Amino acid sequence: MKGPTYSSVNRDVLAPLFTPNAAYMGAITAALAAMAWGGYCWALQLVNGLGVAGYRPPVFWGVYITTFVFWVGIGHAGTLISAVLFLTRSRWRTGIYRAAEAMTIFAVMTAALFPAIHVGRAWYAYWLFPYPNQRQLWVNFKSPLMWDVFAVSTYFTVSTVFFFIGLVPDMAAVRDSTRGYTQKLYSVMCLGWRGTDRQWRHYMAAYGFFAALATPLVLSVHSVVSWDFAMAQTPGWHSTIFPPYFVAGAIFSGCAMVITLMLPLTKIFKLEDYIHVWHFEHLAKLCLFTGGILTYAYGTEYFIAWYSDNMYEWGTFVDRVVGNYWWVFATMVFCNCLSPLPWYFKKVRTSYLWLFVISILINVGMWFERYNIIASSLSHSFDPAGWVYYVPTYIEWGIMLGSFGWFFTWFLLFVKIMPSVAIAEVKEMMRPPLKSDEEVAAK
Amino acid sequence: MSVFVPVEAAATVAPIKAVYKHLDCLVTGIDGLKKAGFRDIHVMTPFPRHEVEELIYEGEPSPVRWFTLMGGLFGATMAFTMTALMSANWPMIMPGGKPLVSIPPFIVITFEGTILWASMFTFAALLLLCRLPARGLPKEVEDPRFSNDHFGIVVERVGAHNAAQIKSILAHSGAIEVTGGGDTAAHGAHHG
Repeated sequence: MKGPTYSSVNRDVLAPLFTPNAAYMGAITAALAAMAWGGYCWALQLVNGLGVAGYRPPVFWGVYITTFVFWVGIGHAGTLISAVLFLTRSRWRTGIYRAAEAMTIFAVMTAALFPAIHVGRAWYAYWLFPYPNQRQLWVNFKSPLMWDVFAVSTYFTVSTVFFFIGLVPDMAAVRDSTRGYTQKLYSVMCLGWRGTDRQWRHYMAAYGFFAALATPLVLSVHSVVSWDFAMAQTPGWHSTIFPPYFVAGAIFSGCAMVITLMLPLTKIFKLEDYIHVWHFEHLAKLCLFTGGILTYAYGTEYFIAWYSDNMYEWGTFVDRVVGNYWWVFATMVFCNCLSPLPWYFKKVRTSYLWLFVISILINVGMWFERYNIIASSLSHSFDPAGWVYYVPTYIEWGIMLGSFGWFFTWFLLFVKIMPSVAIAEVKEMMRPPLKSDEEVAAK
Repeated sequence: MSVFVPVEAAATVAPIKAVYKHLDCLVTGIDGLKKAGFRDIHVMTPFPRHEVEELIYEGEPSPVRWFTLMGGLFGATMAFTMTALMSANWPMIMPGGKPLVSIPPFIVITFEGTILWASMFTFAALLLLCRLPARGLPKEVEDPRFSNDHFGIVVERVGAHNAAQIKSILAHSGAIEVTGGGDTAAHGAHHG
């Protein structure tokens, strides 16, 4: 018999769990080291105050907000793949959605650190939420920053529950192939799932609803993040195209991150039977599509700035190209608009090497896009007397590096603890064994 | 076909369990049990199959949807009420003549509340309706093969007089293994 069978799916997907090898230990050590460095930098900032960051009036948003937006954006591809492609019944979703969903959760967890880091006095971060207090003070619901608190926390909660629901039947499969304490642990994690007709019936109904509820979140969360900027009067930010522009960018960067993460995962854990080059090709096409929207949005931004005949707006946009941040702009255009173009050739988008290289370029480009929006607008605002050159300090770079360490630590733990390919859904896609087939074959 | 059985004879035996390798045989088995009037069954599959659900529930949709709807309505009401009351409770005078309770910005939080609570209610419905964490299931459903590459049927609350008939239906449908139902019923198929 050709191709995977039901039992080979269980065997192959469960094989990478638990026992780490040297390469894995090396990777997680590197991630922990990066996280430790980030933690050290943050500790320095907590002790000495926000002065250690490169902020100088009027630039009070910098690397932290850039990195916040970057990580929230990364998350979007996971939800797109798990929810939107579920509703559209895309077959290529099956192999990759579990790891993409995990990526979403860890990316949002990483993003959620940054508002706390950015406000300086992180221990007052709970002031973001409305709670009854003695000052009888409530948060300002007319502020987009407040919407963001609700959008990101809803997004995190819904994605996590959705991820957990998807995992339940597969946790049961892990339980059934382990023994002792491990089995007891997974028995608890799968809530005693047995795959009975009653369980599957309500499960499938609930899963469909979760997908339907998560779908608008893909569009709404980054729209709300974009309003953090677009609702302000700052030149370069105050634009109605921001929501679609940000959503397209988020999916673009997220799909690139899925490629970056899944390629090594597939190769190292020998999951080629379930995650083919076909899956990566689809991701690359999605990147081309959203990258096209992004390039168009960049162009539209310039057109609007010129056509509006508003000198502040146009001044900021010209400054982005020729001013202090010209190299940020150039990196952004090269990585986001030009570097994915070779993927139009099938040969390039089916080559593991080029998929990997270009996906990393896109990740870099998307970080610089947010940096371009934030730093250049604030440092070149209305009043020429307030024009400054904001340069991040090593503390800010260190915390950003630490965020990658934090993200990769979670992801590496995930691949050893949870099945990174959805076992039940892969089986659902296969032709079930039928007696009638065997009888026909025997004749 | 139905035979009157005196109450004292309706003693139950251990649940009957059948294990299948083929999906079409499983469907035949469920259908056979259904036609003979045995509905107290659990069907285990490693992944969802619509033909199983269709056969057992005959297209009746899961009530999960009502929970989702209730959650959505609750979330929308709660989120809008919360933003409106909190704004009214701290009447900050905003320049530009913006009303204290202004609909457009509050829609954002109302929308998030709708999604959040609809999801939470759906999750609660899942736990409630699937009876998770699992309880009250017969011991026979616990078979590691059912999360791997086999399907299974467990018939519960089997009367001693029915055991033979059930085992016969299951065996004839193509099960690779039929167990339980008490030892006496092992050759029951011949009497049936």
